[in-house]
Amino acid sequence: MGVARPRVVLADDHPIWRDGIRAALGDDFEVIAEAGTAKEAVESIRATRPDLVVCDLHMPDGGGLAVARACGADTRIVMLTVSEQERDLLDAVAAGAVGYLVKSTSGPDLAAALRRAADGEPVFSPALAALVLGEFRRLAGATPGTRPLSDREREVLQLVARGHSYNEIGAELYISAKTVENHVRNILHKLHLSRRHELVRFAVEHGID
Amino acid sequence: MAGVLPKGNDPYPCDMERVVLSGLAVFRWAAWTWMAVVLAVSSHQLRRPGLALALVGAALADTVLATVWLKRSPSTLLRAPVVSVELGLATALVVFDGWTYGAHHVFSTSQSLGSVWPLVTVLAVGVALGSRWGIAAGCLLGLGRLGAALANGARSFDGARRLSLVNTAVFYAVAGGVAGYLVGLLRRAESEISAARARDEVARTLHDGVLQTLAIVQSRSGDQALVRLARQQDRELRDYLFGDAAAVGDGSNLRAALRRAAARFEESFGIPVDVLVPEDLPELDEARTRALSRAVSEAMNNAGKHAGPNRVVVFADRADDGRVFCSVKDDGRGFDVGAGDGGVGIARSIMDRMREVGGRAEIRSRPGSGTEVRLWA
Repeated sequence: MGVARPRVVLADDHPIWRDGIRAALGDDFEVIAEAGTAKEAVESIRATRPDLVVCDLHMPDGGGLAVARACGADTRIVMLTVSEQERDLLDAVAAGAVGYLVKSTSGPDLAAALRRAADGEPVFSPALAALVLGEFRRLAGATPGTRPLSDREREVLQLVARGHSYNEIGAELYISAKTVENHVRNILHKLHLSRRHELVRFAVEHGID
Repeated sequence: MAGVLPKGNDPYPCDMERVVLSGLAVFRWAAWTWMAVVLAVSSHQLRRPGLALALVGAALADTVLATVWLKRSPSTLLRAPVVSVELGLATALVVFDGWTYGAHHVFSTSQSLGSVWPLVTVLAVGVALGSRWGIAAGCLLGLGRLGAALANGARSFDGARRLSLVNTAVFYAVAGGVAGYLVGLLRRAESEISAARARDEVARTLHDGVLQTLAIVQSRSGDQALVRLARQQDRELRDYLFGDAAAVGDGSNLRAALRRAAARFEESFGIPVDVLVPEDLPELDEARTRALSRAVSEAMNNAGKHAGPNRVVVFADRADDGRVFCSVKDDGRGFDVGAGDGGVGIARSIMDRMREVGGRAEIRSRPGSGTEVRLWA
């Protein structure tokens, strides 16, 4: 399964990073376009329809968040960031990015993770899982009507946050790794819906159209 | 970078103070207008119209001056000499109320020149000098009303009159005190906000510069010593920027304790550790914090020595039963827990540590899929 040689768009405002990622990706990927701003990234993505987008969270004109909002539904976007503590990151994931990687990830790890992302697996690091876990708790307290996680989904999310691979989680819960992956996808979908629900509610309450 | 850090003594009032002072200015005009109306309506009751006119004129001058200062240099309105003069004027107004009006005016229900104006003044004092001075100003004006009563010719003070005087003093004192207290709260909130804003700005600046560079070194350098140094610097900078620096040294803070343990482990083994702790983790007592962080250290050291992992994840969260759950997971070679000696021996001291604080520990591992030490305390 998966794409033989995934076609990738790289978006980062620092050329040195694009060089670095291209070097890390090697011959297994085909870099079809590079972009230095969110606007350029959206244009190249629409023009080239890549299998995977590797996008810096911070770029001029809106950054990765703008790219995820514009193209998250059409392609797989993996965010790159130097800082995991940011709400922007959660917004980008909620807007449709399939995961994120910290920029300090070593070259081989980066390539392996992007390979999995290109094959359709959410690149869900423990740090992101912990962030999402906290976000669902916040949403449950702040926004009535949030779709809560099922017990199974919460279990999966916690195991990811604890550093287990999908295979290990499957073994622990007596389900297949594929099922684990589906749970993760549903969790992201719920996050997306809940965040949108919260935004709409906020807009209604504050009289914003 | 020094330019974005908060200044110690800001000669200019902050936005919040400007808003409060503007509110006071409006109130001052309203109070003066009321005074002018009272003067017009009650002119027939005045014993000394000239004095009344002079007082209303002085109040007008004060109002105009305060408005001009608000526009030109608002901080003047917060200075002690300025509010003292205002307080003197208000006291004079109150006392002379008894002097300007005919007999029996002070304890009657009719309005007088100084019925609203003193309130503006105690608020101004409270805002400028804090709640204590606000209360003091209120008491002074309360006393002023006693002076007014005496000037008005009152000689006997029955229960109702005494109550009326005390009532006035308490009302002014409370107003001055509350104004000072609220403005103090607002000032503190505003300074916290501006400090956070300054730190955000520093964070943003460093974000695109130093953190990016440190990340490049970590991801692209083949020199392990350099990577380790970059990672260490990266962590210290983050702790400073994203707020955990304040918590370091606080033994009761589990997150800080786990971070320190992880930092020590990274330095001695060169294996990266993610410490993931949600913000809403409950506070733990010192004994449990120490037991958990030592057990976590021990688990990490075991992983570093025996498992050969690429990465370790330390995770802590509240457990369903109100306790805290903590796990240390590595992606190393793992072992067969059932097969006996090694694992159990290692586990013994971790288990003992947890049992001492009424907690428990569990070790899960399988060859090929890493090891997880689970702790509850």
